[in-house]
Amino acid sequence: MEIKKLLFVTKFEQLGFDSLRSLLNLRDGALEHVVFINVIERDRVAMRRGTGYQKDEEARLREAANIRFIDWAENLFEQGMEVGVYIVVGVLVPEVIKASRKEDADLIVIGRSHKGVLEHLYSGSDVIELLRRSWTPVLVYKHLSETAISVEEPFDRPLLAIDWSPSSLRAVEYLKALKDVVEEINLVHVVSEEDLNGASATAISKTSKEARKKLEKICKDFEVAGIRAKEHVHVGDPDDEIEKAAKDCQATLIVLGSSAKTAWVEKWLGSTPQKIAEESIYPTLIVPPERDPQKPAAN
Amino acid sequence: MPKKALVVDDNPDVRLLSVSLLEKNGYSPLVAEDGESALRMIKAEKPDLVILDVLMPLRSGVRLYHELKTAKSLKDIKVIVLGEIAKKAFLRSQKALTESGGADIPEPEIYLEKPVEPEALAEAIKKVLD
Repeated sequence: MEIKKLLFVTKFEQLGFDSLRSLLNLRDGALEHVVFINVIERDRVAMRRGTGYQKDEEARLREAANIRFIDWAENLFEQGMEVGVYIVVGVLVPEVIKASRKEDADLIVIGRSHKGVLEHLYSGSDVIELLRRSWTPVLVYKHLSETAISVEEPFDRPLLAIDWSPSSLRAVEYLKALKDVVEEINLVHVVSEEDLNGASATAISKTSKEARKKLEKICKDFEVAGIRAKEHVHVGDPDDEIEKAAKDCQATLIVLGSSAKTAWVEKWLGSTPQKIAEESIYPTLIVPPERDPQKPAAN
Repeated sequence: MPKKALVVDDNPDVRLLSVSLLEKNGYSPLVAEDGESALRMIKAEKPDLVILDVLMPLRSGVRLYHELKTAKSLKDIKVIVLGEIAKKAFLRSQKALTESGGADIPEPEIYLEKPVEPEALAEAIKKVLD
C-alpha cells in the first residue's frame, strides 16, 4: 500500500507545480514516479458547423499543455524522479481512470471541481464521479489561496475519520505505510446524533467510551508503525464534526474511507466523504475499499 | 541482413516519420509506443539503433536510456534521443540517477530536441548506422 506512483490530474488553472511540490515529501516514503495527465475536453475541439473538427485548436491546446509538462518534467527528472505524461482528448473521468489503471497508480491527485451550480445539477461533479468510480485513493487538493490555511505539506498531520467501514480501515493501512512522511496523526470517530436519538446520557457515554477504546487500539497500531497518534470522539453531525476536529488539531489533510452508499443514493442524498471532498477547506484523501477481484471492473 | 532500428515514441506522427526514413534508407524498423514494451523488444530483438522519445507512458526515455547503458548486454546499442526536454536536463537527469547508485552513463550518440526536421533525423540515422 505504498505510494510509489502518483497520477497528477491538471487543467493548469487549478493545480500547478506548486501543488505538486507540496506533495514531494512523499519521496521520504516510496514516491518515485509522477505521471501528469491533461484531458482536453472533447467539447473544446468538437465539430462546429462550417469549420468541422477543430484540429488546429486541438494542436494548440496540446502544445500549450506539452510546454508546461516539459518544464515540470525537467524539474523532476533532475531530482532523479521518473516522469510520465498523458495529453488526451476525451472526457475527464474515464480518461483519468484509464490512465490510472494503465499506469497502476497508487494515488490520484485532482483539484476541487470548479463547475457552476447549474452544471453540477445537470452533469454532477467530476470529482464526485471520480471518487465513485476509482479503486485508487484520490486526493482532492485544495489550493492555499482558496482556503487561506497554510498547508505546506498535506501529509504532515492528517486527520483520519473512522466509521469502521472496510474502506476507512483500509485508510489506516494506507497511512501506516507513510511512517516516514507523516509527523502525527489524529483519529476521529463521530457518533452521529441520528444514531443516539432518544438514548439516555448513560447510553451516550457508553457508546462514546466504546468508540474511544477502539480508536485507542488503532492508535497503538500507528505507534507500533512509528507514527504518533491521538484519538478523539465527537458527537454530532459527521460533516460538521470532522471539519471541527480538523481545525482543533490543526490538521493538514482529512482522510476518509469512501462511502458504501450506492451511486444513486449518493447522488440524491450525498455522503460525508463526498461533502467533505467538495466543501471542506482541507485537502481530502478518499480511500476506496479493496477491489473485489470477483466483481467486474466498474472503470 | 538490414540493420534493425527500434523507434520508441508515443506520438504516432513521429513513429510514422521515423519508420519511413528508416525504410527509405534500407534499415529494418521496429516500433514501440511506450518504455515498457520498448525494453521488452530491445531485450528480444537486440536492435542496432534505438530512436528514443523521452516523455512516454509507463517508462520514460530517461529511465530507459539509463537501463540500456547500465546493462552489460545492451550498453553497446546506439541511441538517438528525440527529446522534448533540453539536452542538458537529460544529462543532469542521468547524473541524478547515477548519484542514486548507478554507474557513469555516456552521452547518447545524438540528441535532437523536438520538434525535429525530417532531414536532421535522416542525417542522424545515417551518421549513427553507417
